[in-house]
Amino acid sequence: MTRYLVRRVGLSALVVAGVVLLTFLIARVVPGDPATSWAGPHATPAEIAQARHHLGLDRPFVDQIATYFRGIFVGDWGTSIHTHRPVLSDLASAVPTSLELVIAALLIALAVGVPLGLAAARHRGRPADHAIRGFAVVGVSMPIFWLALILQLVFFNYLHLLPVAGEYGLRFQENPVHAYTHAAVLDAILNGNWAMLWSALTHLVLPACAIAAYPAGVIARMVRASVLDVSGETHIQMLRAFGFGERTIFNRFAMRLAWNPVAQVVALVFAYSLVNTFLVESIFDWSGLGSYASDSIISLDTPAIVGITLFVAIVYVFANLAVDLVQAALDPRIRLR
Amino acid sequence: MGFSVRWFGVSVIAAACLLAAATGSAAAPSSAGATAAGQTFVYDSYTQVMINWDPATAYDQEQVALENMYETLTSFNTKTQTIEPLLATSWKKSQGGKLWTFTLRRGVRFHTGRPFNAQAAKAAILRMKKLNQAAAYAWAAVKSITTPTPYTLALHLAYPQPMDLISSAQYSAYMYDVKASGTEDLAKWFGAGHDAGTGPYEVKTAAPGQEVELTLKQFPGYWGGWHGKHYTNIVYRIVRQDSTAVQLVRSGQVSFVQQMSPQLWATVKGSPGLRTPTSSSFENLLLYLNTASGPLQSKAVRQAISDAIDYNGIVTALKGAAIRQPGIIPTGLFGHSPTVPLHSYDVARATQLLASAGFGPGKNKITLSMTYTQGDSNEQLISTLIKSNLAPLNIDLNVQALTTSTKYAKARSTNPADRQDMTFIYWYPDYPDPATWFISLLHTQSPPSFNFAYYSNTTLDKQIDSIERITASNPAQAKTIYRQMEMTVFNDVPIISLYTVEKQRIVLDSVQGYQDNPAYVDVVFVYKIHPKA
Repeated sequence: MTRYLVRRVGLSALVVAGVVLLTFLIARVVPGDPATSWAGPHATPAEIAQARHHLGLDRPFVDQIATYFRGIFVGDWGTSIHTHRPVLSDLASAVPTSLELVIAALLIALAVGVPLGLAAARHRGRPADHAIRGFAVVGVSMPIFWLALILQLVFFNYLHLLPVAGEYGLRFQENPVHAYTHAAVLDAILNGNWAMLWSALTHLVLPACAIAAYPAGVIARMVRASVLDVSGETHIQMLRAFGFGERTIFNRFAMRLAWNPVAQVVALVFAYSLVNTFLVESIFDWSGLGSYASDSIISLDTPAIVGITLFVAIVYVFANLAVDLVQAALDPRIRLR
Repeated sequence: MGFSVRWFGVSVIAAACLLAAATGSAAAPSSAGATAAGQTFVYDSYTQVMINWDPATAYDQEQVALENMYETLTSFNTKTQTIEPLLATSWKKSQGGKLWTFTLRRGVRFHTGRPFNAQAAKAAILRMKKLNQAAAYAWAAVKSITTPTPYTLALHLAYPQPMDLISSAQYSAYMYDVKASGTEDLAKWFGAGHDAGTGPYEVKTAAPGQEVELTLKQFPGYWGGWHGKHYTNIVYRIVRQDSTAVQLVRSGQVSFVQQMSPQLWATVKGSPGLRTPTSSSFENLLLYLNTASGPLQSKAVRQAISDAIDYNGIVTALKGAAIRQPGIIPTGLFGHSPTVPLHSYDVARATQLLASAGFGPGKNKITLSMTYTQGDSNEQLISTLIKSNLAPLNIDLNVQALTTSTKYAKARSTNPADRQDMTFIYWYPDYPDPATWFISLLHTQSPPSFNFAYYSNTTLDKQIDSIERITASNPAQAKTIYRQMEMTVFNDVPIISLYTVEKQRIVLDSVQGYQDNPAYVDVVFVYKIHPKA
């Protein structure tokens, strides 16, 4: 197990290093000059040259990448050209916001997708199964920005039930509480501000539902397929032969074995949903990783783009590692070597 | 791992309860809207406001907030075309415009608590000159500054300059407390989200990169006092999506929307509880034509291009967000001449001009490159329209969308072959003076800074070099020279003014007294407006 972990972490680090190297390279060859962006639109050539020196862009590429890799380990992920602040501190305030959104979305996706998948498997071939499969297809294929706009229109504009934008109400933003985590719900709890907690929860619903649509559809389909797959196996048929009722077989045996692929999907859609926040955060005015990324891309903020890529790559590889470990814990047939 | 259907049933019910509870009494628009409609003015910006907090070097869109925190010696009233007192109560020029003496307002304090006086003003100006960033070039003529009395500031110039006008600039003219940071570096102190102005509002909270980026509160010691009705707070809220902005303003959660797509703005017109005012601006969209290389070196081809563009079609497509004006100096600015001819859409003349240069239908084909700013839907639309205008004239236009920095980098390329044939720029003055269009965009530059037409005309250069001195000493003569310069640009066509930007705002009905001042781009002077009783 330890050997496996060390090997996987080592390989993951190599993958992350490769991604960073590639992003760094691409950022250098795409047309554009970060020094021009840093100096501002009205800068003189002398000011741009000064900015180029300040950003280290006048040094050889190998030197720049070596400095960047050294910086990663000492907490220096470069300085954002757009915000003029350290990328790591920008990420520290943006990431918790997005994580809160993605976690809420995944909880909704699990709460909706798993029961639907199970129900579809139980009622295979019946109208309920067809309806659920149809729902799953719609959830997976619906463009997220369109769903977000529809949710805004229905729940804010027509029904006046939920707020349209932001992480919490304006009055809390005018008088902000101490940001322990930069995640609104957690900060409200840690500050004991229950009114703000309520506001944060209501603001979370629409964007989280928009992000949850895709994973809910994927999870429902995966749960259905896994349960049906397991139900046809010989040991389940043997249980039937022993006289166990269908309900008991389903609840106590088939479902347990079906969790493995579901866990894998959950980890993958977690990382996917993190990228999906790009559009949703923009529509719902959340100041998370998505908004930071879109601002960085528009302003060709190379250090920020590389920083975001590094973070997302880390999340991807470690989410996959976590899946493998969880699978091994869930299924005794799996051995990690 | 005892997962079961029942467990998930419970979780679904819990999630449903949470959703139902949340929706049952959520922050409905009516209650949330009360905030913006009350004592807090909420300014909706589509992009980040506070890029740079240092009032000496800020040169982006920070002025929309800085103008409420800081004040200048004078201010420009576009409506009356006069320069009005602000931190200076009066001023006079002598020695042929080479000595300007400002009498400063008494009883003014910075937000730091220190008094504003001639020494403080001198220190602020000297720091701006030393840093020499943003629009600090405007102070270049200042040779020395003296303070004959504690409230008298004397600017000694190397050559005549309109210092009363320069003192009203929206960049690099703010008066601030240079001692605000104590022993700490002042730029870093500003960068941490502090202000040190004399304006009516001061920083309450700053959250860079957040949705509510900045909150200002009333400065109790403001010299103008707080009698009568005023907003107590100002919130600068970033709303990136136009559709979200519309919903927020309709529900009363923002007081003012800075800008949005003309198409969406048109749908808001006539909505109850909202006003949709438009106002002219000093900002125009200019089209550069590369006079130094390629087919556009030919004056006849440039003139043909100017005749081939359907200007009215562009204005119509922008649904009220653009108006046509003669010349490159917008209406309302000193030097604007209504008698300068407008470029007109005349395909027959364009064909004739092209034929004289050996091009046009049935003759040699011209291939041109055009760049525009990625994400700017107006520039994208106009590029498409121009491309379709030029196609029948056997001109093939290759349009390329680039980020602002990339567009500038290409335009500034040291190799002329790498530069574009045509590109756009939005331009507005740092202070209400037309010289900037000529100095920055048309004066000979090597390497090019903003002269992306790569235009060089020694006669025009001489006129540009002397125009500000003449403006300070003989305004009538300056007006004549500006018209001559406009005619040179009209005939040589290094630049075409496609349109002047018409600002389309959305304002809550409850906001009283709002008026745009184009000399201060997108600024709402919140002290001068008030909520409806």
